[in-house]
Amino acid sequence: MRLQAALFFAVCLSPAAAIYNDEVNHIDFHHALLGSPSPDSTFFLKPSSTSNASLLYTISDKLLVGAINPRDGALLWRQNLSRSADSPARGGLLRGLDGNDAVVGAAGNYISSWSAQDGKLAWENRYSEGVVADLELLELEDATATPGIRDTIAVVGSEGSGIVRRLDGNSGNIKWEYRDDSGDVPFQVSSSPTEVFYISLQSAMLKGYRIKVTVLDPVTGKQVRQQTLNSESDVATPESVLFVGANTASPIIVWTDKSQKSLKVNVIGTKEINSVAIDNTSGLDIRKITVHAAHKTNALPHFLVHYATEAGAWAEVYHVDMKSSKVTKAYQLPYLPGHSVVATSVIDANVFFTRVTDSEAVVVSSASHGILGRWNLPESSDVALHAVSDLVTRGGSVSVRSAVFREHGDWQLIRNGQIEWIRNEGLIDAVAATWAEVDAQEGLAHELEVEGHETIYGAYIHRVKRHVRDLQYLQQWLKHIPERILSSIFSDEVTNLDSFGLATPVLVATKNGRVYALDTGKHGAVLWSVQAVETSEWDVKAILTSPGTATIYPNDGSSVTLKVSTGDIISRTASSDSKIHSIAVFGAQEASSLTTVGVREDGSPVTAFDEVNGFLVTTSVDGRVLGWIAKDNKSPVWEFLPPSGQKVVHATARPVHDPVASIGKVLGDRSVLYKYLNTNLALVTAVNEKTNIASFYLLDGVSGKVLHATTQSGVDTTQPIASAMSENWFAFSFWGDIDSNESSAKGYQLVISELYESPFPNDRGPLDSASNYSSLHSSVESPPLPHVISQAFMIPEPISHMTVTQTRQGITTRQLLCTLPSSNSIVGIPRPVLDPRRPVDRDATAAETEEGLFRYAPYFDFDGKWYLSHARDVAGIKQVLSRPTLLESTSLIFAFGSDIYGTRATPSQAFDVLGKSFSKLQLVLTVVALGVGVAILAPMTRRKQVNALWKAT
Amino acid sequence: MSQTPLPPPPPPQWVVALNSPMPRPSKAASSIPDPPGFSSSRGGKQRQQQQQQATAKKPEDTDALKMKKAWEIAIAPSKQIPMNAIMMYMSGNSLQIFSIMMVMMLFKGPIQGLINTNAAFAKYETESTHSRLLGVKIVYMLMQLLLLALGIWKVNAMGLLPTTRSDWLAWESERQPLEHAHFAFR
Repeated sequence: MRLQAALFFAVCLSPAAAIYNDEVNHIDFHHALLGSPSPDSTFFLKPSSTSNASLLYTISDKLLVGAINPRDGALLWRQNLSRSADSPARGGLLRGLDGNDAVVGAAGNYISSWSAQDGKLAWENRYSEGVVADLELLELEDATATPGIRDTIAVVGSEGSGIVRRLDGNSGNIKWEYRDDSGDVPFQVSSSPTEVFYISLQSAMLKGYRIKVTVLDPVTGKQVRQQTLNSESDVATPESVLFVGANTASPIIVWTDKSQKSLKVNVIGTKEINSVAIDNTSGLDIRKITVHAAHKTNALPHFLVHYATEAGAWAEVYHVDMKSSKVTKAYQLPYLPGHSVVATSVIDANVFFTRVTDSEAVVVSSASHGILGRWNLPESSDVALHAVSDLVTRGGSVSVRSAVFREHGDWQLIRNGQIEWIRNEGLIDAVAATWAEVDAQEGLAHELEVEGHETIYGAYIHRVKRHVRDLQYLQQWLKHIPERILSSIFSDEVTNLDSFGLATPVLVATKNGRVYALDTGKHGAVLWSVQAVETSEWDVKAILTSPGTATIYPNDGSSVTLKVSTGDIISRTASSDSKIHSIAVFGAQEASSLTTVGVREDGSPVTAFDEVNGFLVTTSVDGRVLGWIAKDNKSPVWEFLPPSGQKVVHATARPVHDPVASIGKVLGDRSVLYKYLNTNLALVTAVNEKTNIASFYLLDGVSGKVLHATTQSGVDTTQPIASAMSENWFAFSFWGDIDSNESSAKGYQLVISELYESPFPNDRGPLDSASNYSSLHSSVESPPLPHVISQAFMIPEPISHMTVTQTRQGITTRQLLCTLPSSNSIVGIPRPVLDPRRPVDRDATAAETEEGLFRYAPYFDFDGKWYLSHARDVAGIKQVLSRPTLLESTSLIFAFGSDIYGTRATPSQAFDVLGKSFSKLQLVLTVVALGVGVAILAPMTRRKQVNALWKAT
Repeated sequence: MSQTPLPPPPPPQWVVALNSPMPRPSKAASSIPDPPGFSSSRGGKQRQQQQQQATAKKPEDTDALKMKKAWEIAIAPSKQIPMNAIMMYMSGNSLQIFSIMMVMMLFKGPIQGLINTNAAFAKYETESTHSRLLGVKIVYMLMQLLLLALGIWKVNAMGLLPTTRSDWLAWESERQPLEHAHFAFR
């Protein structure tokens, strides 16, 4: 007790451990994800005119604009446009120009310009008229352009009209505006060195669209001329137009006829339509046609059309005669089975095409069909969706790097046939995650179990046999000893902690039916990924792990069991017809004999469960909390309905693994305040959206009795309300005081409540020293009501998700892990700071100081040392998980939702791990030096003693 | 060797005189005053021996003296109490090496004293004083216990005695529920 108390006090008084510089990237890892890059808005760009280095820019399907270093795949900066865009956009647009330090992105009605080098906002605009349909950067300087950043041409489409605007590159102000009220569908904008083309689709009389090209003067925005192309028989929807050439010397519009027999090409600004027959020799229908052309004014007017069928793909290169506006076929890239993608790159005026197929990468020049470079690619079953490439010619040879986005969400950079890096952008859709249990020790556990059940003699023989069998590994073990010693002396970490459960794989299930395994010991590297289910809306309710396997339960009642080490799917169960709202898990958490019962959306279990003394608490979609007893799934034993108008929005219980090290709290005078410990507690959050009331009910999960209730008025129910519970305390946060204007408590509040058995020290409440309790059958009023102490704090930011660190024995103080969405970080608030017994309006007495209490301050700032994510921008976190390790001091943290972030938390510092300052080498050298000293001095001393004896007589 | 050894020669006269003390001077002789300038006390030691020899002659006086000495020894520990008390008060209640050492010394003294009670009074132990020494010993033990009590007070003040509820908290166990609720929240 003394030691425990001493430890406790040490823990209380020690300042919260901050993350040190040398721990960054050592104990934590972060996948800063963007999402699937959009095919039209991904490009290599040289952000600075002075430097030749180029970066990879994209806007993703999640409307994140990002710049990636092509060298290592690290994210340099990213900005989230979806935060600012009001209307749901069909996808983002991003444009940039070489040597121009700005990328302009648009999503919905929101347009913004970002510094290409550091991602700082240059300007932003929100258009009330409608959404931005297309963007173009004016490449050529003209007399009106201010020096510096190039101007932008934006097309804003609104009800029945299209507006073309020229925006100043530095300020985003409108220089001119051209309004087209003809009722055409605004489609795209393109520009040549001298003219701006506004392309709209005019509804034809019967069906289809006519393509209308309006030529504008880039300086004044006045209409120069207008042309309408007779395309109504071919163009049925805006998607039928394959390509509108952007910023080439001779911009083109490409579409096909309906039977996909001929390709129609119009050089923008001219009237004539070139028709080129499609030479389909494959015999299969063409599934997809993509057009690739250079995006530079001075580039040659060549373009490539890529035809893909189900089985293979080929491409044809066409040249445009700038004088006659005629299109001629130059050569063909041969038909190859499998998938292929093409990327365009420009060096000076020359256009190069890089074709990436399943097995090789080929670079050709647009001028001739000679292959400039060919590299074999590693085999990949993953289909390439699109690619961009960056080409360098050195001497006669070319060097190419291509960023290929693959169907399964991997974004790879392939440099001369070698994969340089892979970004697993598919992880952005993570919906559920859990730690896997590796079955390394399963065999041993089984053997020990056998020994435990045999007679003493039999067990002895069994053990001797086992050890004899183990001898076969001796040679291997001996071989590794020098390596282990060396690595333990010279490695970065003093002790390799992987064997203490710090290097556990994490299984992540994503929305599109993929399962990833990330190794937390290797910076979250992807060990394997499999497509578990072919779906786009995989709502995973639970992932249960047993040693060696993991079972995933989605909401349709099916399940998939995977092998943790390889990702092989072992078994599947068919889906049931009822939709699953949640999964109830019975059985001890470590035991492999877990049974699960699905819970329907109305809160009733799908099947009756069979567990003696087992009770099930569920929530239903319509906002009730229900209690169920074994063998009955028809009618609940109790039902919790919040007062009328209120709706249950959230419910939480104590974690399954929640050990309590001390059942009481030792006060300064050495008396004990006993904790109210009940494993069946549930904290239910109910809100009334009309009257702005949030209520928090503490329920007993067995009897359904309300043990404690607190109601907060003036709560903004649209803001996140988070809650967490552990041990004998719970915490919740909300935005308070929406009604009153002058309240000092207006803002985000964090409330902490502790439950005690009695308000008096040394009192165990009505149950006193009873060793067990029952919520149903008991002589005293049961379960007894807790004595609740609460304190509220004003916090600077909203908390979107709360959880509590878990350690092996619960001796280490806990941290309240809060996800801060507005600063994109995760903070771990130490529990001693959040103590509701902190003295109010007076300084702490000596006894209180001894307890670790200090004066209450209503404003609660998050200390910089508490940030687990330190300087990282951990965005979009929806859930944070914590898991104990074999080290009591350390808890593993894993956060997912958008980014993936993993770290270790040591709330009481790493007291059971040797620090980095501990030098094993020094220790060994000291011992050796002492040994040598003894060996030298021992004979000398002996001789001296003998001499002394002789001299004395 | 059949030859018998010669008897040893008779000791010289000075040896005989040295070994056999002088005959007691007669009463008349002892009454003769010392000549002027002669001091009969040749050394303090001899004189003490003479005094002891003199006291040995009076057993009641010796006993009284012994009892007086014994009482002095019995009371002696009580004289340490104020000093120790001040020292203990000054050293503070924190667990530091000095205060712990001082408490150790405080315990060591009385416990050793108690163990050596008989030894401490052995010098004054005679048949006649035996019964009277009992009271003295009890007082002596009381005094040592008083010192010990001071030590215990100090240890208690330092919080080392398991006297409070918190010290026994580790032996109290968490109440186990008879029913277990499983939660299926999401």
